[in-house]
Amino acid sequence: MVRGFGWAAAFPDEVWEHVFSFLAADADRNAVALVCRAWHRIERRSRRRVFVGNCYAVAPAAAVRRFPEVRAAAIKGKPHFADFNLVPTDWGGGAEAWVEAMAEGWPHLEELRLKRMVVSDDCLELIARSFKNFGVLSLVSCDGFSTAGLAAIAANCRNLRELDLHENEVEDNCLNWISHFPESFTSLVSLNIACLEGDVNTSVLECLISRCPNLRTLRLNHAMPLEKLVSLLQRAPQLMDLGTSKFSADHHPELFFKLESTFAGFKHLKSLSGIWEAGPAYLPAIYSVCESLTSLNLCYATIQSPELFKLVSRCKNLQRLWVMDLIEDNGLIAVAASCKLLQELRVFPSDPYGVAPPISLTEHGLVAISAGCLMLHSVLYFCRQMTNAALLTIANNRPNLTCFRLCIIEPHTPDYISQEPLDAGFSAIVESCKDLRRLSLSGLLTDRVFKSIGASANRLEMLSVAFAGDSDAGLHYILSGCKNLRKLEIRDCPFGDKALLDNASKLETMRSLWMSSCSVTLGACRQLALKMPRLNVEVIDERRGRPLESWPDDFPVEKLYIYRTVAGPRSDTPPCVWTV
Amino acid sequence: MVFGGGAAGDYSSGSMATPEAAVAEEDMVGKDYVGISEVSSSSYPGSAGVGGGMDEEEELELGLSLGTKKAVGGGGTPWADYCRILTAEDLPSMGSRASPLSSSSSVSSSSSPIAGGERCNGRVAKKTSSNPPSQMVVGWPPIRAYRMNSLVNQSKENTSAHTTITSTHKKASQNIKNNKTGERICCKEIEKKGRSSVNSLFVKVNLDGDPIGRKVDLSSYPSYETLALALEAMFLRQTLVLGSSIYDGPRTSKLLDGSSGFIITYEDRDGDWMLVGDVPWGMFLSTVKRLRIMKTSGASGLGKWDCQSHVHPSCSPGVFRMIPHSEGLL
Repeated sequence: MVRGFGWAAAFPDEVWEHVFSFLAADADRNAVALVCRAWHRIERRSRRRVFVGNCYAVAPAAAVRRFPEVRAAAIKGKPHFADFNLVPTDWGGGAEAWVEAMAEGWPHLEELRLKRMVVSDDCLELIARSFKNFGVLSLVSCDGFSTAGLAAIAANCRNLRELDLHENEVEDNCLNWISHFPESFTSLVSLNIACLEGDVNTSVLECLISRCPNLRTLRLNHAMPLEKLVSLLQRAPQLMDLGTSKFSADHHPELFFKLESTFAGFKHLKSLSGIWEAGPAYLPAIYSVCESLTSLNLCYATIQSPELFKLVSRCKNLQRLWVMDLIEDNGLIAVAASCKLLQELRVFPSDPYGVAPPISLTEHGLVAISAGCLMLHSVLYFCRQMTNAALLTIANNRPNLTCFRLCIIEPHTPDYISQEPLDAGFSAIVESCKDLRRLSLSGLLTDRVFKSIGASANRLEMLSVAFAGDSDAGLHYILSGCKNLRKLEIRDCPFGDKALLDNASKLETMRSLWMSSCSVTLGACRQLALKMPRLNVEVIDERRGRPLESWPDDFPVEKLYIYRTVAGPRSDTPPCVWTV
Repeated sequence: MVFGGGAAGDYSSGSMATPEAAVAEEDMVGKDYVGISEVSSSSYPGSAGVGGGMDEEEELELGLSLGTKKAVGGGGTPWADYCRILTAEDLPSMGSRASPLSSSSSVSSSSSPIAGGERCNGRVAKKTSSNPPSQMVVGWPPIRAYRMNSLVNQSKENTSAHTTITSTHKKASQNIKNNKTGERICCKEIEKKGRSSVNSLFVKVNLDGDPIGRKVDLSSYPSYETLALALEAMFLRQTLVLGSSIYDGPRTSKLLDGSSGFIITYEDRDGDWMLVGDVPWGMFLSTVKRLRIMKTSGASGLGKWDCQSHVHPSCSPGVFRMIPHSEGLL
């Protein structure tokens, strides 16, 4: 007797499993699972990778139960604005519930990637003990653990291939955690410890590197002195991805020579980062690898423009460049001329609070890049001035943009020539760049830009808005348009109750909505929560100790985080968070 | 239901310019909202002078406010009276700071175009003397806290011959030699500027026995006293309303006088743990990396976070000054 559609039984399960194995995208696998019960069953049993964009959207036990054969999991916790200290530190995002459920239900787990979660040492110890074939641990923007937890991972994960610690806050209480890798341990392929603050024992690290022939990625932390770095790197000429430590020291010609020849020995180096505190004296040692680099991250390198220019213009094959605004317009014009394969550019501010005299980095630099780099699709750009004309030019030059994040440092900055709002410029971007998936707005903006975005940005998945708009119309335009919107984060905009309530059902099609310092009242949140039971409406208020129930409907909501969930209200809310 | 900040009522002397064509276009969807957006469009700097009857003398305002300044919102918005995220200007005696900059962000968003425009011109054309508004806003510009801390740490370590990223003149910083005098000069410079290179200084604070650390922005406190009061409110009394604790002038912090059974310590950039309060506030800001609130009963036995990493046989007596001091506090 065949259940479901007859044709599904035309082939045995294994055949369907094999077919499904070609579906890489989760969205495709989700679609397949909805076709019939048989496919649902086959798909769930064969899914190997799970991505949970919001750790509270589903209960860990439910996820583990549904997909029993998962080998790789990625989970995200706190809202994006936690990066900018807008989310209380005790908001949540603890990893224990997930790690415990996974230890229970996924003993064959090999890869775990956590982002913006609170991971304790106990969690790390549990991970180390529970998964026999554990290979990849990636912690990005997490906190709550120490090097003692890392020692547990090092000691117990015999088959560890990747340990990727990216921008975490790590307590340093176990200085020699690296020595916990046993002598027999040789499987390391990737090690990123750039975020650790403490000293790492260089000789132990050297031993580790020497016995791991497959090591391809090594990103060191700031603390290691340059001399030690040189002797370390000589052990790993096969590296493809290097993050150096501090790149300055008192000038010794001998040291420079050694550094230079070490770099000359890297035949496979594609990606370079670190270069903390680069002194001009040692930078030329890198020149020999520039030609082969595809990725260069100088966002912590406070190098001045002439040296930057010399370095970057040698990197003819660069696809990704992250740099400080010290590169200035001239430097970017040079990049536009030399780096024809550039796909992603990020320019960070060296002086965000404007204390030093202004750097000569303006809209001209970005325009030049958009004209010269035909493959450019991803931009993050901090600057102090912009014009509609420049944005229009960029839009026309680069209709292939998929990610455009512009941050004009001063809120409410208009077009500095015409004094107009930047509506026309950003509208041009969304109208021209049909594949735009991520957009961050800044500068002076009225509701008009949101009208354009709502109407044109059909592929947009993530939108960040700050200090923009005039009224609820702005929010309404976004929520009633933007078919593919998944994440919306808003701060300091005059968006209020009406737009939110009018578009309540849209919120269930999105992963999450963050609104802070807007004009939403508690009454609207209550209504929304009533209307949409599958949303968690979290009101965050750090000022008051009294419970939410006692406050009236017109109470202004300081911060609001709304996300869809099938797990109901969470049980780990701290005192400053109320699920309405 | 509250419309977007009740902006309609905000603009005195309703000198509403004719709504721009773009706004008044056929837009049934936006019909409910048109009344509000029309008003706003009149106050753009591009159009006839200062729009909406904005007071020219009004402080250029951006960011978040207490609402204690001029009644922006004209009483129509109850929430204007509630304090928002407290920024530095909410705290008393900020000394070197020039005209505090704040604004009820959503209500006067239309006033901000003027502010933004003038401010923008001022910034691009010449260096203004007062602090730029973006300093006052929490989490803006949107740079990861991790990155900000890294840059701050880098600039602290670059007080010597290397050019600092926040130095006003390259030459000046190159003249600062790497010696005690140099460091003192640098600290004085930092204090003089008020909020120069160390603007948003988030450091972690841990309380003994509490697994969850907090972060505080040290640059928003003018003194040890206010910091200690804030820490008290944060850690020792969970349900305290923040307003009343910070403003009680004569009350001294229990943390500082030792009567609470806790002391505050900090780790400086050399990795040593010191008792908070011994150095001038400005110097403290330039060397502090993180804070720890310790129980005085365990003062002689340090917590597990301290043990091996900071005890060197060669450490100077100064490093553990806190032990003799804490005895004095008990």
